[in-house]
Amino acid sequence: MLDFFVKYPRLSRLVDLALPLLATLAALGVGAIMLQLLGANPVDAYGALLNGAFGSQNALADTIVRATPLLLVALGICIAFRGGVINIGGEGQLVAGAILGTLVGLTFPEAPGYIVIPVALVAGFIGGAIWGGIPGVLKAYYNVNEILSTIMLNIIAVQGMNYLLRQPMIDPAQAQLASRIPQTARLVQAFDLPRLVPTRLHLGALIAVILAFVVYIYLWRTTSGYRIRAVGLNPDASSYAGINVKRNIVLALLLSGAFAGLAGAIQVYGVHHRMFTDGSLAGFTGSAGFNGIVVALFGKLNPLGAIPASFIFGALIVGANSLQRAMQVPAALITALNGLVVVFVVASDYFSRRLARSRQIGVEANVEPSPPASMPPALSVEGDMSSD
Amino acid sequence: MNNAQLIAVLASIVLQASPLIIAVCGEILTERSGVVNLSLDGTMLMAAMTGFVVGMLTNNVWAGFAVGALVGAIFASIVAFGSIRLNQSQVAIGFVLTLLGDDLSAFLGQNYTRMKGVTVPHYGIPILKDIPVIGPIFFNQDIVVYFAMFLIVGTWWWLNKTQPGLKLRGSGERPTAAFARGVDVNRLRYVYTILGGALVGIAGAAYSLDVKIGWSDGHIRGMGWIALAIVIFGGWSPIRGAFGALLFGATKALATILQRAFPEVSVVAFNSIPWLLMILVLLAVGSDYTERGIKAMPKSWQQPLRRVLRVSPPMALGTPFKEG
Repeated sequence: MLDFFVKYPRLSRLVDLALPLLATLAALGVGAIMLQLLGANPVDAYGALLNGAFGSQNALADTIVRATPLLLVALGICIAFRGGVINIGGEGQLVAGAILGTLVGLTFPEAPGYIVIPVALVAGFIGGAIWGGIPGVLKAYYNVNEILSTIMLNIIAVQGMNYLLRQPMIDPAQAQLASRIPQTARLVQAFDLPRLVPTRLHLGALIAVILAFVVYIYLWRTTSGYRIRAVGLNPDASSYAGINVKRNIVLALLLSGAFAGLAGAIQVYGVHHRMFTDGSLAGFTGSAGFNGIVVALFGKLNPLGAIPASFIFGALIVGANSLQRAMQVPAALITALNGLVVVFVVASDYFSRRLARSRQIGVEANVEPSPPASMPPALSVEGDMSSD
Repeated sequence: MNNAQLIAVLASIVLQASPLIIAVCGEILTERSGVVNLSLDGTMLMAAMTGFVVGMLTNNVWAGFAVGALVGAIFASIVAFGSIRLNQSQVAIGFVLTLLGDDLSAFLGQNYTRMKGVTVPHYGIPILKDIPVIGPIFFNQDIVVYFAMFLIVGTWWWLNKTQPGLKLRGSGERPTAAFARGVDVNRLRYVYTILGGALVGIAGAAYSLDVKIGWSDGHIRGMGWIALAIVIFGGWSPIRGAFGALLFGATKALATILQRAFPEVSVVAFNSIPWLLMILVLLAVGSDYTERGIKAMPKSWQQPLRRVLRVSPPMALGTPFKEG
């Protein structure tokens, strides 16, 4: 089969591009078997899924709203992973940003929205940057493993959030009641992010897409971004070339956290209009901090690739919810389905790499196939210094 | 608090730490061979669920443990196959499996939540359990605790005192050198990844069958991450790792006790103690100031101090190995 692609390199590139989609389809195929076993008609079920995700203007808007935090977190993950650091702290960073962002809105209820909203979003950005910068400093200057510190900061973030929302930041109305639901007061309506069309779609989605291009330009067209990628590919060589490795490790994690924090602030101002907790991180974040990692990997750690990837995942989440309502299948099947998609997509990467190799053989028929392009040492995910 | 209460608390710390120790020993075997299995959290959830359900259905605890080990081995073999054969990112595969294990355990186990199943019988070791203080804490427990103790010693001995252990460390430290000396690095990594995964699976089953009996959605979510943290905290050594697991359990117990003593202070402060403490210890261990402090000590103290205070990961951890 590979010989065939050697003859037609163009076709092979096309397959390469379509591969994540094919993998998604394959996963849905396995999901169909599971649905059948549960006694649900797969065709009807997937019909409900597609309808729920794309069926109407509202459905499409919901999909994009769900994709927005995923995309923002994924942008941060692209920066971190390209910089050779692994950030598992998206959940905590998202919450840190949301808390700081909410505080701005709660403190200045009288101020005009056009001032408060930008300030709050910047506050979210800073909150996430602080929560991401801590593991960065710990890693760069104290050799503390960043996987570890980001996980622990997630746990500390959930404790802090629970405390703040139960005590100092609790809605004064709730404080009067016996139930004391841990949530803040609703932010003033003037602070709601503007809606783009008469649906739930808010300005945050547009911000996220614009930022995806900004991050792309940052990573591949600026010196600072180049340094981060160089450190990710080879810290020793970078250090030899005069790049301050420690500072760039901190910068990569700090920026990574900042984007998650911004996602948190956007969730507050665009969707929930308040901060709330059910005692776990996922209650507020919807696991966007974790799923963002998957989205980034799905998009091959390319900020532009993260745009369609986040859209697909947003569609899966929204569509799966309506599938569940329509077919009365257990909610856990839905999450399992998402997991399957991820596994298949990650596995498809192997095939795409073999295709790439076969292309090389085709071009340089008499030359030894060169080893696959170098990747950040910790992460051999597809990608090289030039993204194209 | 009187003596009897104190001993009861200490015994419960040992029991609580045992599954963590088992998982930590498993992951140490895997990581010392050069592979990171990041899927611990998902693996343990899956193993806890399947172990509990199979134990309940067959009315046999050991069947539960066997299935837990099998599930752990399957998850680990996916990591091994993906990273060794398919040359994929170990972090990505492990992370994805974490999410999958979490979801899948919730899905498959939804009909078995909050049910009564089988549990590991209590078994005090004769004679040893009658030693004052130490006896009731360590030897009046059940087999999970004894297995954890055995693993600490066994893993340490295997790693440091045997020929296969030397090869194992070699493939994690300098795979090219080990390969040149005739070690089949990738096969070794397969073996230890799967073996380590099986131990992690046993740890998961140990929770649902012994330490935190039963199954509910997200039963022991987070414990896998803690185990991963303790592996690093323990500097990839089973003895230090076990110490870390016990320390973690002790700070948790201490937090509970303190919270009862000072009810006016927020719960949050106490819940965060173990985590903050762990970060602080890691910070101290990795910091350059510690190295400077060690250098200021007398010559003969330096080496032993360094061995206790400094940690460094296996050099080839997480890097794929290609023959030739």
